[in-house]
Formats: sequence, structure tokens, C-alpha cells
Amino acid sequence: MYICIKGIEYYLPATKETNVSLKDDNPDWRINDIEKKTGITSRRISSKLQTATDMAESACRKLINNGLNIKDVDFIILVTQSPDYVLPTSACILQDRIGAGSCIAFDINLGCSGFVYGLAVSSSLISSGLARQGILVCSDTYTKYIDKHDRTCRPLFSDAAAATHISVASKDSIGSFELGSDGSGFDQLIVQSSGSRVNSNKNQSSKLYMSGADVFMFTMDMVPKVVNSVLLKSNKTIEDIDLFVFHQASKLVIDSIVRHLELPKEKVFVNLKNIGNTVSATIPIALSDAVRGDKINTGDLIMLVGFGVGYSWGGCLIRWT
Amino acid sequence: MEQSKNEVLEIIAKSLEVDKERITVESTVDSLEEWDSLGHLSILVSLDKKFQGRLAGIKEMASVTSVNSILKILKNNNLI
Repeated sequence: MYICIKGIEYYLPATKETNVSLKDDNPDWRINDIEKKTGITSRRISSKLQTATDMAESACRKLINNGLNIKDVDFIILVTQSPDYVLPTSACILQDRIGAGSCIAFDINLGCSGFVYGLAVSSSLISSGLARQGILVCSDTYTKYIDKHDRTCRPLFSDAAAATHISVASKDSIGSFELGSDGSGFDQLIVQSSGSRVNSNKNQSSKLYMSGADVFMFTMDMVPKVVNSVLLKSNKTIEDIDLFVFHQASKLVIDSIVRHLELPKEKVFVNLKNIGNTVSATIPIALSDAVRGDKINTGDLIMLVGFGVGYSWGGCLIRWT
Repeated sequence: MEQSKNEVLEIIAKSLEVDKERITVESTVDSLEEWDSLGHLSILVSLDKKFQGRLAGIKEMASVTSVNSILKILKNNNLI
């Protein structure tokens, strides 16, 4: 059994934070320099009481308003690292709130690689015969973890949710998955005091910590390997790919990937300027914007690559139908 | 080697947007306020460009705090 993407909708919180706000909170920051390196001029910020599940519901309702019959959905996968609770599963809460039947529902705790992992899991559910269609939702409120004076994280991360309707298909349109992890980098992007792990020797922060340099070195090492591995698996070359959609980490990261792989710039989709880094939602949001902007045509071969926190990575190909 | 070393010092100066006279082998993150996390990232990107992608995989570059360390690592990896 094959799978295809039948629709993508996304939700952005109403509050838009520009780089002027960063300067107000941090007068010593060189905003021009930050903007030049990140490529981001504004981010979306969830309201105080608004959670990733709330945003996920809003994104799913857009799919429903576009014609998805929620009672026909066999699975809901929620990719999030900002669950409503440690338990119960936020996907179960979402299932109830959007009026789905008693379908398969579970969370995947992944960040930037989460959409590709979610596609692989969706593919497995459908090809095993356990499901015929479902919703893969990526939603996070990373901004709630970030200290307002954190110059590494605050200019980058943004809140959003993206819901993707995935269905059985007659032709093979998503595949050549390359998924992996390297847990030795677990502490390079972390909210230390967010789970059961208690370290008696050190103070544990409840704020997001990211070593930009370490994450950058990991990205430059792994992403080209993932791209080449997907190409090898699918017996394709870079020339065969019509569009690359990378996780929208930052301009600096994407530019470096393009340079490493010598990709034609016109084949690399970038849309983070007014959205920011929305973690696992960056890829489905980029896909949605690319379709709406006529950057993707039926039959185009698209490579998706997500990478980051974990460390974790995932790449795959989509033949757009 | 001397020329390569000077090229690296120039790259660091350009990355941190400071006059090249301010960058010496003794320079460290503590002696240069411009060498913050963004500055460090700029150095890594520029060195990665200079060495045509061969910096990827040299994990220890992420945590260097001195020009001397940068030069040592580059020498140990046969990049200078």
C-alpha cells in the first residue's frame, strides 16, 4: 500500500514578534547582525494559556473545513515536545476535541526531524493495513521554554502547528526514507528540568539551552550524508530533484547546506523570514507555502530533510500528486 | 604554514567584524567581546567555507575558545 499527502493546513498564533521587540528587551543586541545570520525578521508567539494541542486543534479544523471527514480518520499522530501533560497523551486529547472516532492516537516526542519520522510511521500504519488515512500534526510552543535574554534561541524559535492529511494512494509517492539518531548530542539542545531526570550535582534549568556551534557542526556533518543516502536509496541524483525542503533552522544553516551540496539555489525552498523556526512544523508549513506559491507542480520530485534535537534526522522523497 | 595561519587569523577577524590587528594567536573568547555565540558560529561558517566543507565532522571545533586551539585543530586535521 502506498501513501500520499492529500492536504496541509497550518495555524500561526496571532501575536507576531518582530526583531524590534528583541531590541527592546535586549538593548545591547546587534539586531542587524542577528537578522543577517538567522534570516528571520519576525516570529509567532503563542499566548500564555495557548498550548501546542490548542494550536493543533486549530490546524486540524482547517483540514475539516476543507472537506476532511473527521469520522473517517483512522489515526492521529501528534509530533510535539510541548505536550499539555507528561501524561496523558496529547494526541488523545486532540482526538476528543476534533470529534474523531476512537482512532489510533499517539504522540511522537521529536523536534525538527519529527515530520519526516511522522511520515514514515504513517506510511507503516497504512502499508500494514492498520489504517487507510489519518492526520499527522506537528505542533510546538518552544517559545515558552526560552529565556527572553537568550541570544541563541530567542531570535530563532517560533510557535505554530501544521496538520497534514495522509491517505492511502494507488501509486508510490512517498518513500526512500532515511532516519537516524545520535544521542551523544542529547545535551546540545535540551530543556534540562523537563522530565524525570534529576541531576543532583548541577542546577537544572527549565529553559531551553542550545549550543549553536555544536548543532551547526552536527548539521554540516549529517545533512549532506542524509541527502546522499536518500538519493542512493532511490537511485536518483541531485539533478532529478525538483525542490529541496530542508527544516527551516536558520538562513546560516540552510546556506551552509546548499554550499556543501552545491545545490542550485532556485531548487531550495526557504520561507522562514516571517515565520521563524517552528521546529517539526517547518517542513509541512514550507510545503504548504511552496504549493500555494506555485513552486511545486504535480509530478515534481521533492526531497524533505529534517534534523536537529536528539540528535535526530530524517530524509525522504515525495512525488507530488 | 605561516601564510595559512595568517589567512585563518584574517578569516576570524572578518567573521567577528573586527580589525585584523586585534586577532592574534593569543586571542580568546574572553579577550574579544565580539566572540560570542553568534560570532563563534560565524567563525565556523567562514572556516567551513575556506576549507570547502572539510570542517564538518571536526566536532571539537564547536567548543574552541581560543585562536591557538583553532590553529592546533586545523593543523591536526591537515587543513593548514
